Amino acid sequence: MAAIRTKPDPQIYTFPGFGTDKFPNLMLRGAGDLDNWHLKTYEQKHEGYVALKAALKLEPVAVVEEMKTSGIRGRGGAGFPCGLKWSFMPKDTADRKFTRYLVCNGDEGEPGTFKDRAILEYNPHQLIEGMIIGGWAMQCAKGFVYIRGEFLWLVEKLEAAIQQARDAGYLGKNILGTGWDYDILVYRGAGAYICGEETALLNSLEGRRGEPRVKPPFPAAKGAFGQPTTVNNVETLAAVPPILRMGGAEYAKLGTPKNTGTRIFGVSGHVKRPGLFELPLGTPMDFVVNELAGGSSTGRKIKAIIPGGASAPMFDEKDFDCPLDFDTVKARGSMAGSGGLICMDEDTCMVQATLRLIRFYAHESCGQCTPCREGCNWMEMVLHRIEHGEGRMEDLDLLASLTPRIGLRTLCPLGDAACGPMDSALQKFRHEFEHHITHKTCYATGSRLLSTVGAH
Amino acid sequence: MTDSLIRLRVNGRDVASPEGTMLLEACRQNGIEIPTLCSDPRLKPASNCRLCEVEVEGRERPACACATPVEEGLVVETHTPALEDFRRAMLERLAGRIPAEDPARLAGKPFRKLLDAYGVTPSGVRRPEAKHPEHPYLDVDLSWCVACGRCVRICDEVQGQNIWTFTGRAGDLALAPELSPGLRESACVSCGACADTCPTGAIEDVTRLAEGLPERWVRTTCPYCGTGCELDMGVKGGRLTEARPVVASAVSRGHLCVKGRYGWGFNDAPDRITKPMIRRNGLWEAASWEEALEAAARAFRGALDAGGPGAVGVLASSRSTNEENYLTQKFARLALGTHNVDCCARVCHAPSAAGLGQAFGTGAATNSYADIERAGLLLVVGANPTENHPIVGARIRQRARAGVPLIVIDPRRTELAALATVHLAPRPGTNLPLLQAMANLILGEGLADTAFLATRTLNLETYAASLREWTPERAGALCGVEPEAIRRAARLYATTGPAMIFHGLGVTEHRQGTDGVAALAHLALLTGNVGLAGGGVNPLRGQNNVQGSAQMGCEPSRLTGYQKLAQSRETHAQVWGADLPEAPGLNALEMIDAAGEGRLKALLVIGYDPLLSHPGARETAENLNGLDALVVVDLFLTETAKAFGTVFLPAASPFEKEGTFMNGERRVQRVRRVVAPKGGSRTDSEILAGLAERLGAGQHFRHRDAAAVWDEARQVWPAIAGISHARLDREGGLQWPCPAEDHPGTPVLHVGTFPGGRVAFRPLAWEPSPEASDAEFPFLLNTGRSLFHFNAATMTGRTRNRDLRADDELEIHPEDAAELGLAAGDPVRVQSRHGSFTLRARPTDRVRRGEPFATFHAVAAYVNLATGRGRDRVTGTPEYKVTAVSLHAVTKRKA
Ligand SMILES: Cc1cc2nc3c(=O)[nH]c(=O)nc-3n(C[C@H](O)[C@H](O)[C@H](O)COP(=O)(O)O)c2cc1C
Ligand code: SF4
Ligand code: SF4
Ligand code: SF4
Ligand code: FES
Repeated sequence: MAAIRTKPDPQIYTFPGFGTDKFPNLMLRGAGDLDNWHLKTYEQKHEGYVALKAALKLEPVAVVEEMKTSGIRGRGGAGFPCGLKWSFMPKDTADRKFTRYLVCNGDEGEPGTFKDRAILEYNPHQLIEGMIIGGWAMQCAKGFVYIRGEFLWLVEKLEAAIQQARDAGYLGKNILGTGWDYDILVYRGAGAYICGEETALLNSLEGRRGEPRVKPPFPAAKGAFGQPTTVNNVETLAAVPPILRMGGAEYAKLGTPKNTGTRIFGVSGHVKRPGLFELPLGTPMDFVVNELAGGSSTGRKIKAIIPGGASAPMFDEKDFDCPLDFDTVKARGSMAGSGGLICMDEDTCMVQATLRLIRFYAHESCGQCTPCREGCNWMEMVLHRIEHGEGRMEDLDLLASLTPRIGLRTLCPLGDAACGPMDSALQKFRHEFEHHITHKTCYATGSRLLSTVGAH
Repeated sequence: MTDSLIRLRVNGRDVASPEGTMLLEACRQNGIEIPTLCSDPRLKPASNCRLCEVEVEGRERPACACATPVEEGLVVETHTPALEDFRRAMLERLAGRIPAEDPARLAGKPFRKLLDAYGVTPSGVRRPEAKHPEHPYLDVDLSWCVACGRCVRICDEVQGQNIWTFTGRAGDLALAPELSPGLRESACVSCGACADTCPTGAIEDVTRLAEGLPERWVRTTCPYCGTGCELDMGVKGGRLTEARPVVASAVSRGHLCVKGRYGWGFNDAPDRITKPMIRRNGLWEAASWEEALEAAARAFRGALDAGGPGAVGVLASSRSTNEENYLTQKFARLALGTHNVDCCARVCHAPSAAGLGQAFGTGAATNSYADIERAGLLLVVGANPTENHPIVGARIRQRARAGVPLIVIDPRRTELAALATVHLAPRPGTNLPLLQAMANLILGEGLADTAFLATRTLNLETYAASLREWTPERAGALCGVEPEAIRRAARLYATTGPAMIFHGLGVTEHRQGTDGVAALAHLALLTGNVGLAGGGVNPLRGQNNVQGSAQMGCEPSRLTGYQKLAQSRETHAQVWGADLPEAPGLNALEMIDAAGEGRLKALLVIGYDPLLSHPGARETAENLNGLDALVVVDLFLTETAKAFGTVFLPAASPFEKEGTFMNGERRVQRVRRVVAPKGGSRTDSEILAGLAERLGAGQHFRHRDAAAVWDEARQVWPAIAGISHARLDREGGLQWPCPAEDHPGTPVLHVGTFPGGRVAFRPLAWEPSPEASDAEFPFLLNTGRSLFHFNAATMTGRTRNRDLRADDELEIHPEDAAELGLAAGDPVRVQSRHGSFTLRARPTDRVRRGEPFATFHAVAAYVNLATGRGRDRVTGTPEYKVTAVSLHAVTKRKA
């Protein structure tokens, strides 16, 4: 094995008050401590595997109940209640035995999202512990970590940590005398965003082409290798040990009643202190952006924020006060998604930003369904001509007519995801698009557009 | 599926459909057509073209009609302006991918119909790089591809070959044969399923592009193997132009293999003979039918005069229809007055009929192909269905891939063996000890079904005692198999029910072929796996109608219905209005032997090539040489005809006549005249009637048509009394026993009881094959077929299948090859105690050391020059599967 990288990620992950009762440090515990991938450090300094030992004394269903009580919702994007998801896994009966799997989604490909890698970097054992507890709760035979291919150095670290856990008897046969066998395998992705979608991930894990499957059947009925499977995000699983240590009811007091606990927000773009901030759900967006991330880095006003990773519709100024929890962000027309806040200042050309985002989806669409494959390309093409000064006014109507032909009409949510930025940009920044078309210059920067430059 | 109906509203109308129906189908049944592109009834819904989206009241998202089951009270709109706008927009985008040029390629395709319905026209351009390299049957030009994924899915879900895959994503999405530059180099088996499902013609039959859409379609049954797939034959200008699978077929469910799909080219092969011929002074001369029939009749009269009924004989064709086979044996028995009639079941599955007959009372497959999907375990013994019964093979493979335990017993690591939960590879000729050891273990470990044994079997004690010597250790040592593996297989088989057995020629073509089949039957009895869906013992019949030939009575000691001569002679005599000879006749091999001894003087051979297909070719030739007259009825000048024929009567092909075939699961299916008999050829029925007329028995052969022949057979064989041509036309194939017109047929035999009440176990004593290897002949040669050819390749050898696999090959273990200094493609001479032949070496670890394997299609190689005289003790079926040989590199390689 190559040497484990010990140079710290130049990542900001802390702020004044972090680690206090007000801003408890649950998932980023050990952050900054590059030694924490050592089992010893995790055990000695961070209550490592205490929760596991407690959980193994409980009946598996009791662990699921604890998760339900905690109210935690999935951190991968959709915000589905984790305890409920776990309870969907079929249980053995007298005449039917299942081989169940737990899969950790570590693909983290959503632009603007970089929280899972911090957990993998600083706190791999907490994820492993969470996966063992989850495996026990659902009586799984194996756990898989599907990890983004580019995170090569994290794979090495994670595998080393898993080996330590095996050596300590936390994984393998007859774990801590329970008679239960369980191990965790790590599988590297190969650079496709769509493989973060849980069913595409399962296909990829099985060695098939990574494209989403038709649901139903849902993974709990027929997941990896045809067996009942639960897919959870890295952050969701890393929250499991603290939940069990403090108790579900205590955890549920964090955040707001239907959006409990803390999550890691990743702030990027035109801010002074881009970084990761673990905060209770419901923390107002402007507090995060202005107080913790230091506000605009350019001196210009921030014009737009994408509140939940690239797939989330953009907010303009009037929604900057939005409390960051799943329900409120949704009520205001966007989604909390993966918790990545992308901040854009006044000089950002919204036509270009939208084109960038749509190009991403057009490029990452698995190509399986017609509306997504054809529609994203179509949007990209139209945006491209507007961006280059060749747009026509009708193009705006065309763009507006395209999203209803894509959104909600695709097999997986990627098609919907592409429509979010498109619709919100058109609604909130329509004047910028119009300016491009009529003036052949950029509204935000004033620069001339490509079609007006150089010989034709 | 229950019979309760689900009620819903579609476009304001009340609609009721059975539970489990998809909206798409429910709408279709009610006359509402929803556009689709990616859906195919053979495939699981993929839900990716999205054209079938409909609006469901109360749901945020539109639902895919193809993937949404009906639900009580659903309110559905299928053609709102928004939906239609969406569909048109998508179709416009897709049409932008399709070249505007060459509209013929789209003609008749589902996508063309969609475009027409929405008034959209193709507006794309041809991309030269999208044209794939040439293939004999499939033309691939992905300029026409709309990425519906049907080809990828059918190759995965139906054929299980997984050749096609998409590469790239989104805009760069492209289809490619996985891991290969082109289809030919890939593991593609040319089943043509992708071309059949492709809605645009991006993947298309070469013949469709060359000939255009057929003018009409005729449904018939495949003339190749005993699976009995149904075909839709396309006809244009009076010629066959294509064959397509039949989605509604109970047997083939919309799938075909390369033989059925593309193997019809022999019908118009240039060397097909369509005029009668008589050999004069050693040379074939054209003759009129009158002359030829007279010459043949004269020969038989002469032989009868000289030697009596024992001096004449008939070899029937398992490629002919049931009706023709019925007439053939009737011809032998009435026109020639002899029971010297046999069919090629003798050289393949006679031991199955005998073994199963002895064990259960009916000598045919106990269950149906549909049980493959019901079985909890599949045991495949001495059969290679993925190549020889590809549609059955594909389905077994799908089950194995879905996790159903599969046990394979075969010396070779066949495709299925590679997928198996347990693969036992016994030395050739040692099936019996292996099966005995399994039976012994099942009894010894208390895994037998005692209730079944107590109520339905006899003689268990004696049988159990006879097994005791067969410990896994003893059998394992003989078979070259780990005792532990035998234990695993026995336990798995006994404890995972229902367990279904398929066996092939690897069981029957042995000295103890019949005993081998009986041993399998015993395993099924011990575990109670008889008389239930998903269980039983099922021979995979070779030729399409080998079951029919034997069953119609082309057997020296059996009459129609495989009824014993003594038992049903009376019935036959009554119905025929004529007496039948009393003494049983000679079987096929005995007839040839008798010819050598001068006892048999005239032989009628219909669609059968004994010189090529019988073992010990040199001896067969010497024997045939002893005949005074050899009348051949065939499509081509067979090797037998070329060497020894005296009269040649050109026969109509299976595409040129009416009748029925009987597949390996006892299903009688219609064969239909797709085109008129080519040139001057005639059907077997006409030929037999003509000969009978000249032999003074014409009155017994004046049937109006094939249906009338069949109706006569129904009178002598009660088990098919309920099956009429009219009913087959109406309902599709039926499985006998079907004693009455209102009887549904019998998919599973022996439910509740056996024909004779209880059945008795019969102790089986092992006798090693005399074909042992020794210092001089150190290798044990095994023989068989390959996917692309059929038996002696009389038919497939005349199609472009030969471009896919031209030569017979000798599969040999790489280490053996290395020791002999053989590289791939090197000629190797195979020498046995009986003769020798030469073919090319193909080193592969599919075979074990010391056990090479040869295919036997090409005439040139004459594998049978080297096979021996070993025969099954009961039925006389030759031991093709074991011959001791030595191998010799023909050209020395430089070291
Ligand atoms: C296009 C697409 C990409 C996704 N990428 C990720 C990802 O990188 N990581 C992740 O955890 N979830 C991702 N998801 C969400 C997963 O499908 C799934 O909902 C999640 O892993 C469930 O975990 P949770 O319940 O713990 O949130 C993606 C979803 C879509 C539609
Ligand atoms: S919506 Fe896009 S990414 Fe998702 S399945 Fe369809 S084509 Fe693939
Ligand atoms: S080749 Fe045909 S079947 Fe295959 S994806 Fe393209 S259009 Fe569909
Ligand atoms: S499996 Fe047999 S019956 Fe079916 S198409 Fe192939 S050769 Fe014909
Ligand atoms: S037919 Fe339903 S999605 Fe294609």
